[in-house]
Amino acid sequence: MTPLALPLDGSSTDILAVANSPVLWICGLGVFAVIIIQSVIYMRAARKAAPAAGMTQDELKTSFRSGAIAAIGPSLAVVLVAVALLALFGTPAVLVRIGLIGSAAYETGAANVSATTMGAALGGDTYTQQVFAVAFFAMSLGGAMWMLATLVFTPILKRGGHKLAKVNPAIMTVVPAAALLAAFISLGTAELPKSAAHVVTLLSAAAVMGLCVFLSRKLGKNWLREWGLGFAILAGLTVAYFAHGAGLSPVA
Amino acid sequence: MSTSLTARTDTASTASLDEFDRTTSRWGQLTMIAGLIISLAGPMYLVIFGNLDVATSQLWTAFAAVAGTFFVIWLVEPLTYFPILGPAAMYQAFMIGNISNKLLPSALVAQTNIGAKPGTKRGDLAAVMAICGAAAVHLTSLLVFVGLLGTWLISVIPEDLIAVARLYVLPAVMGAVIVQAIVSMKQLRPTLIAFGVVLVVQFVLLPLVPALSMMSTAISVIGTIFIAWFARRRTSDVVA
Repeated sequence: MTPLALPLDGSSTDILAVANSPVLWICGLGVFAVIIIQSVIYMRAARKAAPAAGMTQDELKTSFRSGAIAAIGPSLAVVLVAVALLALFGTPAVLVRIGLIGSAAYETGAANVSATTMGAALGGDTYTQQVFAVAFFAMSLGGAMWMLATLVFTPILKRGGHKLAKVNPAIMTVVPAAALLAAFISLGTAELPKSAAHVVTLLSAAAVMGLCVFLSRKLGKNWLREWGLGFAILAGLTVAYFAHGAGLSPVA
Repeated sequence: MSTSLTARTDTASTASLDEFDRTTSRWGQLTMIAGLIISLAGPMYLVIFGNLDVATSQLWTAFAAVAGTFFVIWLVEPLTYFPILGPAAMYQAFMIGNISNKLLPSALVAQTNIGAKPGTKRGDLAAVMAICGAAAVHLTSLLVFVGLLGTWLISVIPEDLIAVARLYVLPAVMGAVIVQAIVSMKQLRPTLIAFGVVLVVQFVLLPLVPALSMMSTAISVIGTIFIAWFARRRTSDVVA
């Protein structure tokens, strides 16, 4: 058998056969390796520069430790969401796209938008290996745009101070809010006509998220908000399981 | 050791800070470019060697739809986070991801714990170290809980449960994310405008022009931006 070509058939819906292929695993772990190398280089540079910035080695250690401890909760919250998405995208894509570079909201949004351009829907009968490949490509290229913007803007911002961000405060508040809200409201609304089970899934996830936000404010517990997304997805899927079993599923 | 600042001359400290800037911007850029290429290599491999009959036009159409939906966020996020993170940490943050829910809190906690202000050199260094710490925790928990345990879990869960998860995970994610976006944006007017525009696009425009369904989200995003911009509060009072 040839080492590179996969024995695939674009119309198959066995997504995990493609999504968990060894080459994707290698690329995924490659991104992990790049981040580790970057961290090591940065920590060595920081250690050297610390005295000049008026920072002790103890303060460097404290910063590292504070960052690590603060990340435990949010990291595990991301893990929960990532596991829920494994069936949709396979492990390597979930690790890189949802776990690292992107976030659950953007990446599932991008994948869904891509599938729609092919007349398909993520997760259903039309979600073939071909649709997965196109969606994975488009979400990865989309993620690359974030990095590209960072590579272009960082040197400019460094030179020109924060002028660019201060052009007009309204641009920096109204426009992103409008873009973000419209994107996710549109993606959510597009789910509703699919079936009654989709409707109750969306509504129950929204309700649980709302409850988590409300309780976190009421009780002053920030972690409830961090975990909200994971809890809401689990609740949504549980409701979906019973709704699906009760015959509210899309007509085959 | 090197902790006594007073002993150092200004030129020496400027030089070593310059070196930090040079090292982090050179290696930050190089590692980010490497990450960018490797993250694209996976899907490129599938498209080229996968025998999946993917046409180039399909790829660009899909990407155009994604770009129409998210281009504003691509541009705005780096501008928004730069003042808090500082130049060096920018190259870390946009590769490690989950910036607002994980990296920013980590950086802010570290800066508070050592009494460093964002935007100062101390603040920048604290952010860099905090993000390294966050990355160590995050990479480990991803590899163990998603890479190993998660993959195992998927292999033992009954097939019909997996099918249900695959079919309904999208509405579950979107339901939660809509609420999250509304709450964290705290802007009533754009929220109402977004709902209005989406309903019009989804239930009036698409039935009239079904061919637009491929780009419906991008149309809603661009429409909402325009209307929200012209309908914004013009008073120069403080925006929350």
